[in-house]
Parts: sequence; structure tokens; C-alpha cells
Amino acid sequence: MDIFSNILMGFGVALSAQNLLFCLIGTIYGTLIGVLPGIGPVVGVAILIPITFGLNATTAIITMAGVYYGAMYGGSTTSILINVPGESASVVTCLDGYEMAKKGRAAPALGMAALASFIAGTLAVILLTFIAPPLANVALSFGPPEYFALAFMGLTLVTSLAGESMVKGLMSGIFGLVVACVGVDAVSGEERFTFGFLSLLDGAGFISVAVGLFAVSEVLCNLEESMEQIFIRAKFSLRSLFPNRQDWKDSLAPIFRCSFMAFFLGNLPGAGATIASFLGYAMEKKLSKHPEKFGTGIIEGVAAPEAANNAAAGGSMVPLLALGIPSSGTSAVLLGALLVHGLKPGPLLFQTSPEFVWGLIASMYIANIMLLILNLPLVGLWASLLRVPYKILMPLIVTISAVGVFTTDNNIFDMWVMFVFGIIGYLMRKLKFPAAPVVLALVLGPLVERTLRQSLTISHGDVTIFFTRPISAVLITIALVSLCAPLLRGVMDWRKKVVEIS
Amino acid sequence: MRRADQITGVIVLIFSLAVIEGGRRMPPSGTFGPGAGFLPFWLGAAMAILSIILLVNATREPVQASDRSPFPRGRAVLAILETIGGLAAFILLLETLGFLVSIALLTAFLLRCVERVRWLTTATVAVGNAIGMFVVFRMLLGVSLPKNIFGF
Repeated sequence: MDIFSNILMGFGVALSAQNLLFCLIGTIYGTLIGVLPGIGPVVGVAILIPITFGLNATTAIITMAGVYYGAMYGGSTTSILINVPGESASVVTCLDGYEMAKKGRAAPALGMAALASFIAGTLAVILLTFIAPPLANVALSFGPPEYFALAFMGLTLVTSLAGESMVKGLMSGIFGLVVACVGVDAVSGEERFTFGFLSLLDGAGFISVAVGLFAVSEVLCNLEESMEQIFIRAKFSLRSLFPNRQDWKDSLAPIFRCSFMAFFLGNLPGAGATIASFLGYAMEKKLSKHPEKFGTGIIEGVAAPEAANNAAAGGSMVPLLALGIPSSGTSAVLLGALLVHGLKPGPLLFQTSPEFVWGLIASMYIANIMLLILNLPLVGLWASLLRVPYKILMPLIVTISAVGVFTTDNNIFDMWVMFVFGIIGYLMRKLKFPAAPVVLALVLGPLVERTLRQSLTISHGDVTIFFTRPISAVLITIALVSLCAPLLRGVMDWRKKVVEIS
Repeated sequence: MRRADQITGVIVLIFSLAVIEGGRRMPPSGTFGPGAGFLPFWLGAAMAILSIILLVNATREPVQASDRSPFPRGRAVLAILETIGGLAAFILLLETLGFLVSIALLTAFLLRCVERVRWLTTATVAVGNAIGMFVVFRMLLGVSLPKNIFGF
């Protein structure tokens, strides 16, 4: 009952004229980000932080959550029509989506992508509504050791899952923590790694680092590739967009299965929308009666990953809102946005800012409806945007990033931070170091350090405090197991070799 | 990637030693519990160990004739350097030239020199972008933007 009165209150907030307008702007902008290849949701949200600085926190975050969802919807359009993923969570959609378009079934593929996204997105928000509040209640009893363990587990899972090499993932994560140390130490007031720059006393600005690492480096990487696209022309009447009865029969079960799987996967740190879409596709292929048809242009191959990436995006909001721990690159940027707007993410958020939390959740229901409208009747409009060449977009991305960073603090120095991290991000991409752990570590760094030092202060320097308390013991164990997994695999391989030789 | 990983390993090792040294110079413990240098020191140590693992792993990999550098050559290098240089010049000159002129110049430079777009398109997009951004940031969002001595 409590949840229902809360969600009603949330709709009261979300349905105000201003919030509706910004939710619409967010979803339109998000769809645009999703449709255009070369910029993903992380960049889209990061650029928005400074722009929405003047708005109140609730409106700003509603806009950004709309961008996150919108990107998940929009990405499929590009995958289907030009066989280039609009963002990384739509990579798998290319496989069957583009084949369908080649067979002249672009319209139902686009329609099914939007409908699957809608069903999965809405299911995810419903699950979020009922799961996040009790989780936050449990988390209220957490002390510093539990929080440290939670953040530590989040960091290790993300770093060990991101990228190809775990060593490189961990190095990225630690680099992010080092960057988080820059500035005045919150506990002792000591200056750290400021190199005499006054502007670094507050730390390296989160927005500057994120925009540099994601937007600038992405532009630099794209300069190497010719971004010319082969566009499949298709006519879309509203009627042709609706999948037929057989399409529905093939797709409904995969949509529901993928929604539930991806939602819970999205709850876990490290498994973002991209991994969920790959897993959803693989799972449906395994369960299918005709797995050999996957990749030849069947509708389940579009419905499954599109449902999965939307449900995962919704799922990643659970730890963000209930625990204050982001589970993916985009939710890390969202957490950064919460901090910039002066909100204190964590289990208390449901009590200290109920209008914000419930307004945001209610806005997600609304955003899904808006996105369905934006992506069904208006899909032709988005498709025509794909004719704008990347050559024209590139300078726009660069200038908007630079000015966006500047406007956060009206400080030229922030642009230099963006500049430096743009180059670092480019080198990292080229050398196959994942960038998401850096941002996650940068956001979680202060929490990790504070809780670690508090815990050790409570225990007089005794590390066993993390193992004598049950919740933190479990979380730390999960983290350590995920760190040791490759090591164990190495030992197993070695034993196998020994057995084979003998 | 073998050679690239080796070089990265060495660079990161040097970086982590610098972090360790930085951490050592800060007070290791405060009045109660660990101090400001505690976390940086251990982060540096962990990073040093990881960079040695990376170095060893890369060195143990068999040498392949096809071990190419992950970095581009030729035209793409030029494009990347031009973009970086253009952005640096933009940041340096922003407060002298003012917002409108700098944005238009950077956009035009990236379109014309890096992407080789036609002059007419370059000019249209550059002017449009500068005006569009001015409208959004200055007029709609009310951000104060850098001006040149002529006041724009």
C-alpha cells in the first residue's frame, strides 16, 4: 500500500508541466544519441550534466534517465538500417535486424524493436518499483565495513568483467581510484596530487574526466575509420511497422524471458546493457527449436536483444537508487550527476528525497510511453537523420563537449582536464584498457576511501573487521573469488596438462 | 599487442612508483586510523604489481611476425594530431577571441582541415554551430560565456 501511495506521489511530481517537457526533451535527445553511431549513452548523459546544471535536481535527473532509455530504443534503428550499431548495446541487433532489412522486412524489425523495448522497459520499471525500496531498507543497517565491501565488490566485478584482460581492467579501476584521490583529503584536509594547481583542490572534475574519456577519445578513434554507411532505404507506413501475428507468436516468449533475465543481470555491478543483450541473444538461440535460423533475419533475433538491453538499463537503476552504487558506465555518470546536484545517493535517499526518487521512477513509466510514440510513428524521421554524415557531426560533438565542460564551473582549467583525459582515453582504447572502470572508480573513490578508513579506525587497524561481519564477509568473498577466478582457471589448465603428459 | 603491452607495462610501472612516492610523502596515519597517504600508497603498490604482471605476460607471449602496433599510420595520425592541436588552440584562445569566434573557427578547422568538407558546407555549419550554441547556452540556459575585447 505504501508503495502505491508513493508511486502516486511520484506521478504527481513527474506529471508537472516542466518535468513532462524535460522528460520529452531527454527521450528525444536520447533517441538521437542512440540513432547516431559514434556517440553512446555515457557521452550523451555526461554532456547533459553541465547543461542541466541550472535545473532542479529532479528535473535534471529525469532528463538524463530519459536519455539513457532513449539511447536503448534508438540504437536498434541504426543497427537494422545500416548494419552499424548506434551504441554498443545494439551490436547484436545488427545480426538479424540487418538481414531482415535486406529481405525487405525493415519495417516490422523496427516496429518489433520498439515494442520489445517498450514491454521490457515497462516490466523493468515495475520490478524496480517493488524491489528498490525493500533493498534500501535492508541497506539502512549497513555500517562502513558493509559499504566498503559493497563498493569494493562493485569495483572488482566491473573491472574483472570489462574488457578482454582482467589485468588491464583492474589497472583501469585503480587508475580511477588514484584520480579520485586528487584534491583535498576529506578526512585530514591534506592536499594530494594537486601539483600546485588551485583548480585541482576540489579534485579533477568528474564531468571533465568523463567527457574526455568517452566523447573526445571516441572522436579521435573514429578519425581512423571511414564512417561511411550503406543505408537501406525502406518505406514505413504505420501499419507496416506492426509485426504480424506470427511475429508476435515467435517473439513474445523471448521478450519476457529476456526482460527478467536482463533486469536481474542489470542489478549486478558490471553487467550492463551490452552484456545483457549478448546473453539474451545467446540464451534464445539455445532455447530455440531452430537455432540455425538465428542470424538469417528472424524476428526473435531482434526482439531478444532489444528487450534485454532495455530491461538491463532499468535493472541498473536498482543499485543506483537503493544503494548508491552504480553498476555500469552510464549509471556511474548518473551517480556523478546526482552528486553534482547535491543529492546524497544511498539507502537514505528514499527517506530524505522521496519526491526525487518516486518522481524519477514515475517518469520512467512515462518515458517508456513517450519513447514508444517517438520510435513507432516517427521512426522514419530518425532514419532520415542517418543521412547526416559523421563528418559534419564530429565537430559538433567536439565543440559541445568542450563548451559543456566549460560551463560547469566557468573554468578554462576544466577544459584542459577534459583535453588530457581525451588523450588518455584514446591511448586506453587503442591499448585495450576499458574506460568504464575509471569513471566508476572515480565516482566510488571517495566512498571507498572514507568507509575503508572509518572501518579501520573502528577496528584499530584490524583488517579482519571485514570478515567478522556477515554481510561484508559475503560481499568481500564474492569480490575475492571474482579476482581469483582466472588464477584458478590457470591452475586447472596446468593440472590438465600435467595429467595429459603423465 | 606484445610490444605495445611491454611499453605500457614500463610506463605504468613508473607511474605507480610516482604514486607510491607521493603517498609516502603524505602522513601515513592520522590521529585516528589511517591518514591521507594510506590509500595512495597501497593503490600505487597494487598498480605496480599489476604492471609487472602485464610486462611478464607480454614478454612470455610468443613473438609474432604480425605483431603490429595498435596505432594508425599516415593520414589518420595527421587527422588525430590536427584535432588535438585544434582543440588545444581553442582552449588557449577562447578567452581572447571570445566564444562566438572561437567556436566558429574550431568548427571550420575540424570540417575543412581534418574532414576535408567543401568550403560552402564548412562555412554554413561553422556559423550555424556558433550561433546555435550561443542561443542554447547564453540565451536559453543563461550561462555567461567568454567575450573578446569587442564584447562578443
